[in-house]
Amino acid sequence: MVERALPLDETLHEISVDVGRVPLRFPARVPWAIAMVLSLMLVGLFLVSITYLFARGVGVWGLNIPVNWAFAIHLYVWWLGLGHAGTLISAMLLLMGQDWRNSLNRFAEAMTLCAVVCAGIEPIIHLGRPWFFYWMFPYPATMGVWPQFRSPLEWDIWAVLTYLTVSLVFWYIGLVPDLATVRDRARRRGWRVFFGIFSLGWRGSALHWDRWRRCYRTVAVIAVPLVVSVHSEVSLLFASGQIPGWHSTIFPPYFVLGAAFSGFAMVAMIAIVMRHTFQLGDLVTERHLDVLAKVLLASGLMTAYGYVFEVWDGLYSGNVHEIATIHDRFFGIYAWSFWGAVFFNFVPLQALWLRSVRRNTVLLFLIATSVVVGMWMERYMILTTSLYKDFLPSSFGIYHASFWDWSTYIGMIGVFFTPFLLFVRYIPSISIFEDKEVLAREHEESGNG
Amino acid sequence: MVEKPLGILAEFDNQDRLLDAAKAARNEGYRSLDAFTPFPVEGMSEVLRIRDHRIGWLSVIGGFAGFFGMLLIQLYVNADFPLDVGGRPILAWPAFFVVDFEIMVLGAVLTPIIGMFYLDGLPQLYHPLFSTPRFSLASDDRFFLYIDASDPKFDKESTRAFLRSLEPATIEDVIE
Repeated sequence: MVERALPLDETLHEISVDVGRVPLRFPARVPWAIAMVLSLMLVGLFLVSITYLFARGVGVWGLNIPVNWAFAIHLYVWWLGLGHAGTLISAMLLLMGQDWRNSLNRFAEAMTLCAVVCAGIEPIIHLGRPWFFYWMFPYPATMGVWPQFRSPLEWDIWAVLTYLTVSLVFWYIGLVPDLATVRDRARRRGWRVFFGIFSLGWRGSALHWDRWRRCYRTVAVIAVPLVVSVHSEVSLLFASGQIPGWHSTIFPPYFVLGAAFSGFAMVAMIAIVMRHTFQLGDLVTERHLDVLAKVLLASGLMTAYGYVFEVWDGLYSGNVHEIATIHDRFFGIYAWSFWGAVFFNFVPLQALWLRSVRRNTVLLFLIATSVVVGMWMERYMILTTSLYKDFLPSSFGIYHASFWDWSTYIGMIGVFFTPFLLFVRYIPSISIFEDKEVLAREHEESGNG
Repeated sequence: MVEKPLGILAEFDNQDRLLDAAKAARNEGYRSLDAFTPFPVEGMSEVLRIRDHRIGWLSVIGGFAGFFGMLLIQLYVNADFPLDVGGRPILAWPAFFVVDFEIMVLGAVLTPIIGMFYLDGLPQLYHPLFSTPRFSLASDDRFFLYIDASDPKFDKESTRAFLRSLEPATIEDVIE
């Protein structure tokens, strides 16, 4: 028998109440306030760090020549990767008719938005003169020059901006009917005005639903190749250069899979925390965690294939520089990041073959954390081990992250969590109407069978 | 004096009863029908004969506009300020298609969404339906069938009697 996504004794009304109560009568005030204060302190750290950075220049980081891309760019890739799972859960699983995604898509998409914002900030603060970032746009400048559209660096801004916009509108049109539900449940005038404005006066008319469904599916169909294109494009920042260890055709799929892998880990972590904090166990069930864990395992194994291929690619090339880079990754000064990535990404992951581990929230949370750390190390490894030794020994150089590297990164975590905490506080964080749809279908099936 | 209602709203407690009622109303000859439901009800579009393919076409148009618009921009800026990098071609088609793809996606996503809200007449923060007492349940767990007064077959008494024959939970007039 197929396991159900939602328990059958749940009613449509209970779903409205379960989810709607979170913004309207917030259940976890104290933990939320503590998290928010911590998060705002991190934002403060971030602001101090970038103020110092803007005042003194990117030299305050450990950057040098040859390692001129380090934390900012490796974290850009890392943040963007975390975000991709939100779109994949929302769009790809919608098209494949996977009902279980309906309890996860909303907050996964919100996580995507926060992560993409962080990702977008990274390369901008890495610009020596970040106030000129608008030079990336083709506007008729008095200087008479235009952006260089033949460069991956220029492709990048278009990919990220498109991804941010599409994620935002996809999230929002999915949210409108739920905002209407909360509007109709709200008692206080302030809430009714707030949700009334943002639900745009949604009435649930059959005609509107018909257009909505076409629109939502259309966007979903387009969003799947978009995710693939965005992270492929990110990988081209590396792969279209000649630096050993980067110049490989495996990079686009390898980056996309690694991104999805880290993103699914992030979604699992957030799902476990939200389920626990807001007592949403009826909607985010053990089965949801079970399938998330399976997806995590599958995408992890595909990422592992990328590792194997990358090494094989270098060895098979017969190129002395490629082989030297592989040697440096295995045994060089940054070997900790390579072996760390291998260990944290793939060793604890193997426990997910066991059903009891997949359904154990604590173990799943720890494994997901390990994956997020592992992918962090992987992105770091890809950047530094390739850059610090290129072709000529005269241009070799060592990179160490400075205090400001770390403070900008740790502060950025606050930039990620602050909007996310506002989202869980003020917006229905599980899709109400899509869960009702699933429940209605399950009732029908159980009635017929 | 009783005002002429804008329409009549009948409430059902599940989607199957609503679908049956909508079919009955179609068969009875009503055309200005609408349904209000907490989620998109499978089969409702077919019953109400909603066949609006404009959303898909808007997406196609937006995608083409984005694709060719961005291609023209890239061709123009490279022709306007030709930058010779090691003798590589100025009009580098393969390089252009990356940004082109992104902007095609942007056009194909934004036009149907803007078009959807435009066709829906949203945002419209107030609607007479909202002052109908039980209508707020349409976003919770109730399913409403609505017959608009503009329907040629609409008659305050007989339409009401017809809706009553469908055994709804409640019947309400929607008043301006």
